[in-house]
Amino acid sequence: MGAFIRGTRVLSRLCGYVAAGLIAASVVVVCEMVFVRYALGMNTIWQTDFVTYCLVAATFVGSPYVLMLRGHVNVDVLPHYIGPRSRWWLAIFASLLTLAFCVTIAVFTFQFWKEAWDNKWVSDTMWRARLWIPYLSMPIGLGILSLQAIADLASLLTGRQPPFGMRTELRS
Amino acid sequence: MTPTTQGAIVLVVTLLVLLSGAPVAFGLGAISIVFILIFQGLDALHVVAETFYAGLNDFTLVSIPMFVMMGAAIGSSPAGKDLYEALDRWLYRLPGGLVISNLGACALFAALTGSSPACCAAIGKMGIPEMRRRGYPDDVATGSICAGGTLGILIPPSITFILYGIATETSIGRLFLAGVFPGLMLTGVFMLWTLFIIWRRGFRAHAADFRYSWKQKFESIPKIAPFLAIVVGVMYVLYGGVATPSEAAGVGAALCVVLAVMIYRMWRPQQWWTILRDTTRESVMILMIIAAAVLFGYMLTSLYLTQTLAQSIADMHVNRWVLMAMINVFLLVCGFFIPPAAIILMTAPILYPIIKAAGFDPVWFGVILTINMEIGLIHPPVGLNIYIVSSIAPDVPVTRVMWGTIPYVVCMMLQIVILCVFPEIATWLPDQMMGTTR
Repeated sequence: MGAFIRGTRVLSRLCGYVAAGLIAASVVVVCEMVFVRYALGMNTIWQTDFVTYCLVAATFVGSPYVLMLRGHVNVDVLPHYIGPRSRWWLAIFASLLTLAFCVTIAVFTFQFWKEAWDNKWVSDTMWRARLWIPYLSMPIGLGILSLQAIADLASLLTGRQPPFGMRTELRS
Repeated sequence: MTPTTQGAIVLVVTLLVLLSGAPVAFGLGAISIVFILIFQGLDALHVVAETFYAGLNDFTLVSIPMFVMMGAAIGSSPAGKDLYEALDRWLYRLPGGLVISNLGACALFAALTGSSPACCAAIGKMGIPEMRRRGYPDDVATGSICAGGTLGILIPPSITFILYGIATETSIGRLFLAGVFPGLMLTGVFMLWTLFIIWRRGFRAHAADFRYSWKQKFESIPKIAPFLAIVVGVMYVLYGGVATPSEAAGVGAALCVVLAVMIYRMWRPQQWWTILRDTTRESVMILMIIAAAVLFGYMLTSLYLTQTLAQSIADMHVNRWVLMAMINVFLLVCGFFIPPAAIILMTAPILYPIIKAAGFDPVWFGVILTINMEIGLIHPPVGLNIYIVSSIAPDVPVTRVMWGTIPYVVCMMLQIVILCVFPEIATWLPDQMMGTTR
């Protein structure tokens, strides 16, 4: 179990690097687009699509990394005010809900990607980009997100991580 | 089952799931899928992936990571410290000058980063210890920084306004302009209150025992001025209609990173990674909520819940100001528990038709909504800024920090009332600069 959790964390960290790289690439391309459009007075063709796809990919691929860092915001009022045992059960429920959603949406997005692949969908913009490429970020990102959700649940069940990351017990 | 019953079930389940502590994005997504499945059947689920993707497939959203990166570049550099020092060195002789320096630095840093927690942390790290060292009461020192930090989401550029603009298809440039005067006014109200309370407690804050030389006074300005120039430039480009928000923010982000590297010599890869990591973390969090909120909105609309709610409110035939008061109470209560990004994305599409039908200006309402979100940031039980300030001053009890924020909550409520009486405070500038839409 320890190896699985460590392996998933490495994978999630890698996803974080990829997402950060995609955001950095977006900034560079936006600057290039502004230069081409406003300084050279030329039309831009691929830049708007590319940046939007990068952003979508960064969101899905970066999501496991953000989950690992506990960066997806939650409402932690109730966990703060209940006892340790109830908090543990609540954390199990929240983790199962997260896992159920991640697995479901990963399956749906895989089917969506497969449809784009089978039917050779292209974007309706001037660039005519093959849509399976940007869509691929969804099943990959959400698949790894599911693995990270399993790793988080396993960490919780094996006592490696406290519920909701709250190490200090408010009530004993 | 009637849409009203369905709506009540959705509301209760949503509240329960959010309160369970599950991430907001995943909770909203799970609720949407479950209710689409229950009320519309298995076949309706084929739209889930497409809707989830479509929620993010919008070039306007590119402005979010770009503005976040602008803030991350400035926030991870010592620019906050320089800004604070520059103001303090110029204003330290005035009675209560330190308070004005702190709140003024918060307002300016807000303009630079657009982030409330970043603003609170950056200015609070210098401001709170300095105020306490010079004998200011703990509740005033911590409360004023908590409140000053909230200006980050009202003074442009503000991520909150971008989210509201995207959720309601309202002009982001117009919203940014609408936040200027209310933001400055709120800064002034915070300053006046703080000066009043320290005067009332018999505290006379002026530094008689030390002096800054002219050299010291001018020392920090060359470091800060370029960042302020970039923000002003981004605003000018936005309002002049020269470029879209995404383009302006993209160039602004790149320039801020370059300046942070050049001025503060942030050459090390670790420093670059800090900027990118913070940008990725905050952007991905917001964008996942957007994707889930679009799916949630789709579920509400396809079950006719949004329309039913809007119709029910219209059928109540209440006075529009009573309606506005009810909406404010609703937003305030939401703000006590739920983060601003989630509230805006969940409620704006529902409230927007109601606001429009009642004859309110959506841009003006964007400002009112943002001030409500600001209150949530310094109000228990969540009050993100309270916990940030507590981590800066761990020896001040949290309850003392909370009591220190209460007068500022009242100031913000007063500001909402003033904006209701004089909506022109928010709408005048956008109308002047971008023309009236009414």
